[in-house]
Amino acid sequence: MSLIATEIPEIQLDHVEMRYRTDTADVLALHQVSLDIAKGEFVSLLGPSGCGKTTLLRLMADLITPTAGRIRVAGKSAREARLAQKYGIVFQSPVLYDWRKVRHNITLPLELLGVKKSVREDKALELLDLVGLQGFADKYPWQLSGGMQQRVAIARALSMEPEILLMDEPFSALDEFTRERLNEELLAVWSKVQSTIVFVTHSIPESIFLSDRVFVLSPHPGRLSAVVDIPLPRPRTAEMRNAPEFFELIARIRGSFEGV
Amino acid sequence: MASNSVRDIPFITSAGTEADAAPNPASNNRISSEPGRQKNPRRPLQLLNPGILLPLLAGVIFLVLWEVQVFHRLFDLKKYQLPLPSAIAEAMRDNLSLLLSYTGYTLAEAVLGMLIGSGCGFLIALAATAWPRWGGGSLSMVAALNAVPIVALAPIMNLWFGDGIGSRAAIVTATTMAAMAINAYKGMAAVDPLALDLMHSYAAGKPAVFRHLRIQNSLPYVFTALKINTTASMIGAIVGEFFFSSRGLGYLLSNSIKVAKMPLGWSCIVLAAIAGVIFYLVVERLERVFIKWHPSRRA
Amino acid sequence: MKLNRAFMRGRVLPLFVWISGLLVLWEAVSWWLLSIAKTPLAQSKLPYVHEVASALWKYSVTLLREGGATFGNAGVGFLIGALSGVLLAVLMSLSRTIEQLAFPYAVASQMIPILGLAPIIYGIVRDEQVSRILISGYITFFPVALNMLRGLRSVDLSALELMHSYAAKPWAVYWKLRFPAALPGLFSGLKIAAPLAVTGAILVELMGAQHGIGVLMLRNLYYGPSHTYMFWSTVLVGALLGMASYGLMSLVERLVAPWQPEFRPQGGSR
Repeated sequence: MSLIATEIPEIQLDHVEMRYRTDTADVLALHQVSLDIAKGEFVSLLGPSGCGKTTLLRLMADLITPTAGRIRVAGKSAREARLAQKYGIVFQSPVLYDWRKVRHNITLPLELLGVKKSVREDKALELLDLVGLQGFADKYPWQLSGGMQQRVAIARALSMEPEILLMDEPFSALDEFTRERLNEELLAVWSKVQSTIVFVTHSIPESIFLSDRVFVLSPHPGRLSAVVDIPLPRPRTAEMRNAPEFFELIARIRGSFEGV
Repeated sequence: MASNSVRDIPFITSAGTEADAAPNPASNNRISSEPGRQKNPRRPLQLLNPGILLPLLAGVIFLVLWEVQVFHRLFDLKKYQLPLPSAIAEAMRDNLSLLLSYTGYTLAEAVLGMLIGSGCGFLIALAATAWPRWGGGSLSMVAALNAVPIVALAPIMNLWFGDGIGSRAAIVTATTMAAMAINAYKGMAAVDPLALDLMHSYAAGKPAVFRHLRIQNSLPYVFTALKINTTASMIGAIVGEFFFSSRGLGYLLSNSIKVAKMPLGWSCIVLAAIAGVIFYLVVERLERVFIKWHPSRRA
Repeated sequence: MKLNRAFMRGRVLPLFVWISGLLVLWEAVSWWLLSIAKTPLAQSKLPYVHEVASALWKYSVTLLREGGATFGNAGVGFLIGALSGVLLAVLMSLSRTIEQLAFPYAVASQMIPILGLAPIIYGIVRDEQVSRILISGYITFFPVALNMLRGLRSVDLSALELMHSYAAKPWAVYWKLRFPAALPGLFSGLKIAAPLAVTGAILVELMGAQHGIGVLMLRNLYYGPSHTYMFWSTVLVGALLGMASYGLMSLVERLVAPWQPEFRPQGGSR
């Protein structure tokens, strides 16, 4: 590879196909998906259930391997990128370990990397500060509300300073008010860490509010049906949700579904 | 790096339950590995399935090694200490009618005791659910009874009920009550609060709530307890016969050992094991008949 | 503090009432058998509680010593059995082949009256110490192995994927995820096995041994009605040993895995 680093897309999918074979059925979960995501970009994968958006994220994370096509992450294969520990992942549920206090949940990835304990502890406090959970370091996960648990999960994902943050419907189990607040907080955090973020959601407003670009997927078979640029300026504020441009974007994306 | 990536795949694939899907190329996703459970049992070459073949083979090898006295040499045992499988089979053939009638006797004790014990346990669970504050105490008492060694019960039950079938049935009753009480209580208590609210909205009284909701909900737990109790009841009956009995597998077992008829003792164990497994399978079959609606049956 | 008081009122008081109620009933039935019904061997069938209590007190040193011997032997066997059970569970979770080999036998062993093997093992070993330890260990082995395996398997798929995404090494997955997650399963196995191990030890003692509560039990039974209070004391001590083994495991569980839902305040999840 003689290309200069900045010219390589951070994540590059080339005719990726994912097929699940079972005894009774042969399901084409993703059909010929090609896309590029630039370094430092915030993109959303948007679509209804069964459109393969989570599958797409899991492919990028090397949790599953595509049945056809190629995935490159920072010029390497997805597997190499995972083994180089470039990823932070946030799932739909917080997946915190019950037996660890909040601070030790956050430092789990650092432990696996072999980071010194004193450094880990400092990092945990710094991250708790970042996600607005000062003073909760020594609580157990079950002593926190759902929104707080998800913030811990985000802090954990950020602890190893990942170049890529993959988020699989992280706020979908939360109520609307908490979700909007966490959206704003996520953007604030992102402005500080500057990772590339791939965000899976089925909420049109959420995808618009957060992203630079929205990849719209449609089901049967799962495929990329549209890419919508979000020209809203940054930093984004809560008021933008009431702006006419915001509603136009909602209408546009909704329209791209109706064409299917 | 490459070897590393190869090695950590199985950790993800083995994440599911005990599904015995044969390894297939696309097995690193959940969807393809789950229905694998369904397909295997219908295959014609069922015996070649490693899940059956391997343990069977291991069992046969074990028996052969035993027969050719490898263990005897290994642990310096004499044949009168550890009889050979062929000798056990011979003893079993020679005493078949006696062994069978004793098996029936022991099984009768076990079944009778288990029915009474499980019934009492269920009643206790009902009481503990209906009157949590005071009934709950009875639950703790039975749980304590569960920790009492069976052998300590044997002499007492013998004093109370003589050396007939009653004394062993009483031992079995005492040892099976707790598992049923605790499990059934769990099932009756683990009712979805919304389902309770629904019953309230119908203005259903306590008996109706029990009949339509709590008892139904407790059925899977009840069968778990019954399955635990099959084994417990066989143990209770056999151990009870060790000391104060003139019939039954446990009596014959301990007596044969005392007079150094080891092969006969071993054949008692074999029959007890077979009876235990059959008893268990019968209960399991009943479970399938009774709770067709439970999610664990749909898989 | 407030929680404690509520706990005392809600759980301990009814239990206390239950225990005293049963003791009173016992004493009453004992009196009835002896004085009203005039049953033969009335005191052997159900002795006065106060007489048993006084025998317990009078021979407490002997009872404690012999009970301790039983408990110690059961404990050694229990530890050996538990360790091998955990080892087998880990091996089964690591290797399909080992699992296919051992799992059916482990399950079948749960359907077989294992305690029936006690006389056989005693017949082979002919040594009270060793056979007590063997039986206790053997009884402990399978419930621990099966429950530990269930625990190791109970790990959430997402939690594994999380480890996967961090490219965690297999040992790290075990050490940081599977083992802690398996602790509740391990302890439910240990709690099932502990009283069984005590039972096994007493059983061997009843078949012929020099020391242990079972020996004392048998001896006093053979001495006849004159030793009935002592006999009942040994039965009570045996029962207490079983309960103590269970209680000990519950205590250790609270210390080692205190984060489980049922230990959480506010009455747990529901």
